[in-house]
Amino acid sequence: MKTNILIILMKYIPIGILVLLFMGCERELSDLKPATFPDTPEVFIDGFSAGLNYAAFGGSVPTAFDVDTKETYNNSKASMRIDVPNAGDPRGAYAGGVYFTGVGRDLSGYNVLTFWAKASESAVIDVVGFGNDLGASKYQATISGLQVSTNWKKYYIPLPNSSVLTAERGMFFYSTGPVDGKGYSFWIDEVKFENLGTIAHPQFTIFNGEDKVETTFIGVTQKITGLTAIYNLPEGVNQSVNAASAYFTFTSSNESIATVNEAGEVSVAGGPGSAEITAMVGDAATLGSLTLQSIGNFQQAPLPVHAADDVISIFSNAYTNVPVNYYNGYWAPYQTTLSADFEVNGDQILQYIDFNFVGIEFSSPTVDATAMTHLHLDIYIPNTLAADAQLKIELVNEGAASSATYIVNIPVSESKKWIGLDLPFSEFTGLGSTAKLMQIIFVNENNMISGFYADNIYFYSNGTPPPPGGEPAVAAPTPTHPAANVISVFSDAYTAIPGTDLNPPWGQATVVTTVQIQGNNTLKYAGLNYQGIQLGASQNVSSMVFLHLDFWTANSTVLNIYLISPGPVETPYSLTVPTSGWTSIDIPLSSFAPVSLSDVIQLKFEGNGDIYLDNIYFRKN
Amino acid sequence: MNKINKFKRILIQSILLLVMVIFWGCERDNFQKLDERNWQLAWSDEFNGTAGQLPDAAKWKFDLGTGQDGWGNSELQSYTNSPANVSLDGDGNLLITAIREGNFTSARIKTQGLFAQKYGRFEARLKTPYGPGLWPAFWMLGENIETTPWPQCGEIDIMELRGQEPHIIHGTLHGPGYSGGNPITKSYALVNDRFDTDFHIYAIEWDKDKIDFFVDDYLYQRIERSDVPGEWVYDQPFFILLNVAVGGNYVGFPTAQTPFPQKMIIDYVRVYQEVK
Repeated sequence: MKTNILIILMKYIPIGILVLLFMGCERELSDLKPATFPDTPEVFIDGFSAGLNYAAFGGSVPTAFDVDTKETYNNSKASMRIDVPNAGDPRGAYAGGVYFTGVGRDLSGYNVLTFWAKASESAVIDVVGFGNDLGASKYQATISGLQVSTNWKKYYIPLPNSSVLTAERGMFFYSTGPVDGKGYSFWIDEVKFENLGTIAHPQFTIFNGEDKVETTFIGVTQKITGLTAIYNLPEGVNQSVNAASAYFTFTSSNESIATVNEAGEVSVAGGPGSAEITAMVGDAATLGSLTLQSIGNFQQAPLPVHAADDVISIFSNAYTNVPVNYYNGYWAPYQTTLSADFEVNGDQILQYIDFNFVGIEFSSPTVDATAMTHLHLDIYIPNTLAADAQLKIELVNEGAASSATYIVNIPVSESKKWIGLDLPFSEFTGLGSTAKLMQIIFVNENNMISGFYADNIYFYSNGTPPPPGGEPAVAAPTPTHPAANVISVFSDAYTAIPGTDLNPPWGQATVVTTVQIQGNNTLKYAGLNYQGIQLGASQNVSSMVFLHLDFWTANSTVLNIYLISPGPVETPYSLTVPTSGWTSIDIPLSSFAPVSLSDVIQLKFEGNGDIYLDNIYFRKN
Repeated sequence: MNKINKFKRILIQSILLLVMVIFWGCERDNFQKLDERNWQLAWSDEFNGTAGQLPDAAKWKFDLGTGQDGWGNSELQSYTNSPANVSLDGDGNLLITAIREGNFTSARIKTQGLFAQKYGRFEARLKTPYGPGLWPAFWMLGENIETTPWPQCGEIDIMELRGQEPHIIHGTLHGPGYSGGNPITKSYALVNDRFDTDFHIYAIEWDKDKIDFFVDDYLYQRIERSDVPGEWVYDQPFFILLNVAVGGNYVGFPTAQTPFPQKMIIDYVRVYQEVK
């Protein structure tokens, strides 16, 4: 009996050793897991791996992908060729598609998706990645801006946390557009999942590793951004992978102040108080956090008081807004400002963060604010100001050479409360016309404002000043100087210089018309910024003494007239505005020195408002 | 009898399998026939101490600044003795940290004037930095360098690594007639692994006839007197250096993608003498 036992024991020893052999030095725990899904590593080697399908993205060229047997990595049998279309290709605007399987694969034994790639020219592929299954794409992971060259090179997309990838269907996907409008081709080969010991030093981030601190209110929601996994590649450089929120587990340090869900959506639930939002990927902590300092109930911006009829609204829940192209233009390359707009109790609020400058555009169509007098906006700076801040506000009228500016000084004491701004158009430096307003731009003038909320942005009329289209009730006085003593530019009383162009195309915004006032032809400049008059021929006015002019304006605050000789040599002469009735003036020509009076070719007006002009002529004494 | 025979057969099978397991292992072939040596510790620094401390001044001196022409190699870093660049970590390691703050700073320490030895075993257990343009080294120079300029004084590079190849280390001799771009050198590469993710032991064993280079006690290079195309200048004491260079002729420039800061983490440096 004892011998038998011994024999039985000895029988099992070799098996035990065999088991030892197999377990060897490979990973241990994952070997013991029941494999529910196949762990096939190959995606595309010399053809589609088992169960692999392809589907083009909507709007992409459906035939952009093809299997190529000519251009392959290492002279293998086949590669994947992607033909990126030219701009304007009727078949689609870009190349993009997904390689997916019907049955999931267990990728938990791998740490990287690798492939070889080359292109017909040096190019940047917008997005490559995996985890897109044409459905929820829960575990999508992407690399943005993959630089490819005309030589085959191996590329790596590290798996952010492969332990969760036990039934993944999204094997690979790509999406990219033309380079400078031109299409090109690129090839991808040997696509497979690997477990490489040369992929090292994982780091994970939320908010791209930034520790953010924000003042906030009950009811504010926002999404955690900047989710990345960073790995060091075999050549020693870091590769950042944009990782879906499902790879992360989020935690709030104080659920009574703020909660965070699986999708990384943060909701402020209470206050006053603070909560810190942090994240983990598996057992690894992430860099970056969000500290929310809730001050409790949201302070609504004061309700606007202006009658809807007196308002052109850009952003307000109190009025109907005009069409707006965008509330943040993300103007490359220098803008850092991001938007984190939110809604509290049905009131939408614009929030600008990482603020340097940002523009709102309403150009289709532009806004005619000539009947308006002011820009109103409410702003709220949620963070403490280290020193008095300057917020520069710019208004842009279509065609204007530069924007009009107004700098608001915000004392330290004004942070964390709504500031109502009512800015008269007349105090915007350089504002010519308001007939074709198209942008409002905010600039962090002295870099003290890290971010702000904005609400109730609108133009309004305070009712008093300019009946903007105001028109003279009577015609300009009829000139009395003998025609022989006159060289006329514009007047019913004299023959004008033939061929004179009253509206030369100098890029001005001014709207030029000739109107009849009591049957008298009168030149009207609506929404003046500047306006030229091109004489039919060069004029020698050296025998003349004055430039005569009749002008009328109810709303202009600045008006200059220029005489111009070639060079150009030009000299302004300031006219007193606004007028009360018609102003008749005889400007000594000597005022325009050093303009050459023997060779006058143009006149020009610069200023703002709506101007009526008549009887423009040179005359002798 | 039968049963005993069967028992014997099974036993033999088992032993065979066991032997196969040992031979197949998972490691590279470890069965190098090396002479038995009786090593006795002659000098060491275990880098025990408080976090932020500079390395023991009785054992190490600093090379400071940018040297001449970037220490002869167009290196970019300026060496400092700031704890930010060189200090103990409080866990028994020395950190040499290369930092990018506009310019690059790092550190280079040496036992020159404090300790030098002829022959023996010189070893360090360390984890390398990584990234294009990083150039860590554990190396030695002839003690007579003040009177006998390089390369006549001799240089023994026990470990050098180019950060863009974090899986390859190099062991090298520079001497008269075989220096700079033309030394006696050999590389040792890890398969599916890299030197910056774990500690490894780098060593030489040096006697009057030869210098043996080891990684984790695996002999990957033996240079004998007769292998050197010029003069054998390794019969005098050498002192030890540890540094992390950035850029330079050997490694190339760091790129925008090179992660900084970068640390070389040194657990210990030990020097042994052979006792006959």
